[in-house]
Amino acid sequence: MTVLTKQPPGAPAPAAAGGKPRIRPSRRRKQRSGYLFLLPWFLGMLFTVIPFFASLYLAFTDYNLFTEPNFVGLANFQAMFEDPRLIQSLKVTFIYTFVSVPISLAVALLVALVLNRGLQGLSIYRSVYYLPSLLGGSVAIVMLWRYIFGNDGIVNGFLGMFGIQGPAWVTDPQFSLSTLIVLNVWTFGSPMVIFLAGLRQVPGMYYEAASIDGASKWRQFRSITLPLISPIIFFNLIMQLIGSFQTFTQGYVMSGGTGGPADSTLFYNLYLYQKGFTEFEMGYASAMAWLLLMIIAIFTAINFIASKFWVFYDN
Amino acid sequence: MAAGLLLSACGGGASSSGNSGSGSNVELNFVFWGDANRAKMTEAALRIFEKKNPGITVKTEYQDSAPYADKLATRFAGGNPPDVLAMANRSLLEYAQRGTLADLKSFPELNLDKVPETTLSRGEVDGKLYGLATGVTTIGVVINKTITDQAGVTIPDDKTWSWEDYAKFATEVTQKTGGKVYGAGYDVATETGPIILARQRGEDFYTKDNKLGVSEKTIEDWFQYSVDLRKAGGYPPAGFFEQIGGSPAQSYLAKGTVASQIIPINNFRGYNEAVEGEVVLLRVPGETTGERRGYSADPTMLWSIAAKSKHPKEAAKLVDFLTNDAEGAAEVLTQRGVPINPEVADAITPKLNADDKTFVDLMAAIQEDDLPPAYVYPKGASVVADTLKQLTTEVEFGRVSPADAAKTFMEKSNAAINK
Repeated sequence: MTVLTKQPPGAPAPAAAGGKPRIRPSRRRKQRSGYLFLLPWFLGMLFTVIPFFASLYLAFTDYNLFTEPNFVGLANFQAMFEDPRLIQSLKVTFIYTFVSVPISLAVALLVALVLNRGLQGLSIYRSVYYLPSLLGGSVAIVMLWRYIFGNDGIVNGFLGMFGIQGPAWVTDPQFSLSTLIVLNVWTFGSPMVIFLAGLRQVPGMYYEAASIDGASKWRQFRSITLPLISPIIFFNLIMQLIGSFQTFTQGYVMSGGTGGPADSTLFYNLYLYQKGFTEFEMGYASAMAWLLLMIIAIFTAINFIASKFWVFYDN
Repeated sequence: MAAGLLLSACGGGASSSGNSGSGSNVELNFVFWGDANRAKMTEAALRIFEKKNPGITVKTEYQDSAPYADKLATRFAGGNPPDVLAMANRSLLEYAQRGTLADLKSFPELNLDKVPETTLSRGEVDGKLYGLATGVTTIGVVINKTITDQAGVTIPDDKTWSWEDYAKFATEVTQKTGGKVYGAGYDVATETGPIILARQRGEDFYTKDNKLGVSEKTIEDWFQYSVDLRKAGGYPPAGFFEQIGGSPAQSYLAKGTVASQIIPINNFRGYNEAVEGEVVLLRVPGETTGERRGYSADPTMLWSIAAKSKHPKEAAKLVDFLTNDAEGAAEVLTQRGVPINPEVADAITPKLNADDKTFVDLMAAIQEDDLPPAYVYPKGASVVADTLKQLTTEVEFGRVSPADAAKTFMEKSNAAINK
């Protein structure tokens, strides 16, 4: 455990070990090069900040992409309450988030625990499990998913071996969303890697002490592992939640942009996109973007408040 | 979050159209949707245009129809529209009524003398012409005759067959093939089907004053027909069709799992080449058993010129070439329907292969009859199309009854059109 090999107190800092003390470069020059390195970030920010405020303004207009926007006050926000497809898109997004996030976190933690037991060729396993999260959001994988779960796909072929006639996973509105949830759970790799890093930080001596006291593996997991990695769980939870609320590609590709069958995969962001780019109601779409921001902010805030009761910071 | 708006910010960046030509050399930006084959044929025609019009070069871009529609919207929004563009029937007025398209009648460069009035009316609103048909087509039934022959099912006479005949035929195919092949695999969710059914019943799906004219009953019957046919076995079970869009090669007719489909008949050649076995082209059912003819010669797509084009004159010359030049048409043939200038259509007929000839002949035979007029799709037509698609699935899986679906269809469509 590298974490445990702390430097003895009073040891010289590595930088000072090189003999004569050097003249420090001027603070100013340091700052300048610092800003230089930050330049790409500033440029990137420009492309974020401008649309950010533009969309805030457009949310209060009837902007339709082609003619000058007119200020309409809160009309867009009022219209949302009477928009059944918006309600449907919220429903889809919430179900997707609240089902897939807990499952994918649980799977990620489980796999991380297994990998943490010190397997041969850990780095290979880690890469193999991490790969799907790099690919999961990509168009090609969603297309592949369509085929795997298609009527003549692997899944129904497998069920067929047992004489089970599988449903139309992709085209039946009852099953289409669950197919996407499975896809999302499959991309557990990135929280898994973070869990793995967290697990390696847990000092081994706690387990030694606990096993001397006769604690079972399950008890050790509950009383040592979980509390010590709870900040990591919290971090992963927030990240997954935000990402999941913003799902777009999966729904778009799976349904060919329609959110079908029968709006069963109409994710919030997909509906926003339809409003903006196929119905040209950019003002409404902007207002929707801000509603989503508020929803995410509220859920993140709830989590932060709730975290006081279960997240344990060991310092 | 703000990604949607970011998209719009960089939408126009990809192309380098505009004022690259100073004085003598003008570069036109010309965009359309389609596949590589269509692009190749179009490019060949454009080289002839450039030869005939020194000083004008044409730069093209093309995509599949869905990304094309998205990109077009962002380019117009970004103030960087193409000069000449292909437009879908259902999108024309969405653009035109926002002032983004030029009135094609205002260009002396564009000769419309030979174009029939019935074709012009499909791109016209308030006396202004915003879209000119690239060619005309309609829908028809394609049947895999090899399958029906093997099954011993006779194909009915398409000049007199009714919708009931089609259902009977389809059910028989399914029965005699032991359920291996479904008799009918037509697309319930595309509006061209109910448009014809409405016209056969004396209704205009879209009326002259740009409203929804179809009755709730017709929509209900359209849904009910597929429900009954599925129950009888002539139509595949719910969830069977999962291919989105797709070329003739990817179609279920080519896979051999259905014996008939309804297609835009300018694609007949593609289907006959993709399908193993012999494919025959038939008229849609109900043409002589209804109140009147349902057929009309419909624009396959439309050419438009952006109101903000920097080279409107040259753009008009290009549209004139695409419409009236027989040499150019000889390169494109019937890719975008039968040419709307009859002289051009006659000129290219000898150059057609057998399948394209079948299409052109059927188109001509249909137009020999007295067809009721048809009108431009209203603003909101794309919402109507989406609504139909959505409700079709609801009906397919039995989540709503055809009657309720029809009611919802009327409400949503009227709301979108009258907005």
